[in-house]
Amino acid sequence: MELSIIWMYHDLMDLYGDRGNIEVLKYRCKKRGIKLQVDTCGIGEEKDLSAYDILFIGGGADREQGLLYQDLLGRKQAIQKAMNAGTFILLICGGYQFFGQYYIDGDGRQIEGLGFFEYFTKAPDRARRCIGNIAVECSLDGESFLAVGFENHGGQTIGVQTPLGKVIKGHGNQFQSSWEGFYNGQVLGTYMHGPLLPKNPEIADLILRKGLYRRYGKVDLEPLDDALETKARNVMLARMQIQK
Amino acid sequence: MRTTLTLLFTKFIRWMLKRLGRGGSLPGSIALKLDPQFLKHFTYPNKVIMVTGTNGKTTTSNMIYETLAKSGLKVIGNRRGDNLKAGITTLVAANAGLNKRVKADAMVIEVDELNVPKVISDVKVDVFVINNFFRDQLDRAGEMETILRKLEAVLPDFTGTLVLNGDDPNVMRLALTAKQASIYTVGVARNAMSSNTSDEASEGKYCPVCDCALHYHFYQYSHIGKFYCPNHDFGDVTLQLEAAAVDFEKSCFEVAGVRYKAPQNALFSIYNCMAVLGCLDVLQIDRQYAAQVFETFALNDGRMEMFSLDGKDCLLNLVKNPTGANETMKYIQRDQEAKALVIVLNDNDQDGTDISWIWDAQFERLMSADVRTIICSGLRAYDLALRFQYGGFEGRLLVKPDMQEAVQELKKQPEHLYVIATYTALQPMRAVLRRNT
Repeated sequence: MELSIIWMYHDLMDLYGDRGNIEVLKYRCKKRGIKLQVDTCGIGEEKDLSAYDILFIGGGADREQGLLYQDLLGRKQAIQKAMNAGTFILLICGGYQFFGQYYIDGDGRQIEGLGFFEYFTKAPDRARRCIGNIAVECSLDGESFLAVGFENHGGQTIGVQTPLGKVIKGHGNQFQSSWEGFYNGQVLGTYMHGPLLPKNPEIADLILRKGLYRRYGKVDLEPLDDALETKARNVMLARMQIQK
Repeated sequence: MRTTLTLLFTKFIRWMLKRLGRGGSLPGSIALKLDPQFLKHFTYPNKVIMVTGTNGKTTTSNMIYETLAKSGLKVIGNRRGDNLKAGITTLVAANAGLNKRVKADAMVIEVDELNVPKVISDVKVDVFVINNFFRDQLDRAGEMETILRKLEAVLPDFTGTLVLNGDDPNVMRLALTAKQASIYTVGVARNAMSSNTSDEASEGKYCPVCDCALHYHFYQYSHIGKFYCPNHDFGDVTLQLEAAAVDFEKSCFEVAGVRYKAPQNALFSIYNCMAVLGCLDVLQIDRQYAAQVFETFALNDGRMEMFSLDGKDCLLNLVKNPTGANETMKYIQRDQEAKALVIVLNDNDQDGTDISWIWDAQFERLMSADVRTIICSGLRAYDLALRFQYGGFEGRLLVKPDMQEAVQELKKQPEHLYVIATYTALQPMRAVLRRNT
């Protein structure tokens, strides 16, 4: 089987180790004999986004996000086309915020979003941020599990209709909120860095299955030995005093 | 009166703590609680040197301290790295008389980046040395942009001399706002470690004047190098002091035709030395005192510290962030023999509670055939193991969260031995290594 990923703004949106997510997808494909192609797309680069099975955007600092948002807005039609063509989309932090209506940064400047979803994001001021370990109870397409990560965001995301999961420990979309992220079956947005996928192999495999679906329909992935992943996650769950 | 009482009380607390075998920043914290303006009321020595930056603060400030002492001055400093405002306050209280005069010819203080604004507003600083700005513990320090903005907010009022690393665009950016300061730039010329491209996690790739991508004549490491903006004169730096003829065979370099030994055989060490020499030039003190310090300088506190494990050499080094880790790994990989390593990853406050930096660091440097065994240890040992698993490490990967067990395992390995540890693991690891000699 073959699979392709377009990693957008890899040189700008690579805060907090988000690049690790790509490493995880590569490894889990290789173990299963799936041929994975990873392409990058920087500012001004011409790429047919709808030709890819998975699209990924990580998080970036305010300054970097300010540099690229014009380019991103210019690709609104191309991203819509990719969504229509069944491309699965993974968005971390800044990438997640961009898919909403707008983003107001710590200095009060408003940046227009792609407007695909109803939610919007406001950063109150530079002094207050949601920072720390986070545990989220996810129930995605019938599969339930606890996801762990590290969040570090000033932006408060408001108006998410379909969150990724319920916050067990940490902040989530807003200060001390009940819900984290966004998931509608095709787009997964989250504030979870860490990076997200090494300790959450369920999410990694969900993304792979979703990506493969576009070409091959429903596929079952061969299970991998996730002993280290499970232990790493259990260390954090124990730290947060959460029963598995 | 309030200050005098606070001073007396602080001295008393410090004396008590010292008798209990403790010290550090607590007396200073108490003083600042009692009198937030405490530091403003002192007469400081006429040479106050402040050192900040992401990497090399402790080493640089200690080398300045020793050099000034060698030149015959009475020097005080926060040599143990108590680099928050409270630590500086303890230092001042301990060395001030009741006339609120700090009794020394020179004061050398290492200050945490985020504490610079709080210190510089209260303490008269004559020479301000800035080494570099790398991606560091982001959860604590905030994005680098936030740190730079905080410094840019206080530098317009600074009237002393800035000694700057002219090869770091993040540092040189600060010169743009320090309109009243004198600027003295130091750097390192192209050498065997320089390259035309860089693939290391770096910050400040953009021109602070026009936001365009910076170009480089060459890179030294991370984003340090001969940078320039294609549109403006940003980066058109004429270094006042440059290290040339860098020789990694003999661990030495030349400045103005004079040869110096680098305490550690690595570029970052030469940059630290250049900051020391720049500081001496500004203070008009002979550089030969520094040459003597460079010859013999050793922190012996886990920065490239050698231990003996059952009679075999084992090199311990501290890592705090991606750039420091990359430089340490480059250093280890100069040894082309088979190797075994223990890497300890903790996530306490002082380590940074966000360990995602391990994905920004190029641990791929250790994923070569000559690295036979990697033993992951510390509070986040499993996260580290995942980094190596997903990075494609093909050697033996072990997880021993307990440091003693990790070192026991390391001792069994026939290869050359190395230990890398994050901040809070460093002292416990030194104790473990000493027990296992």
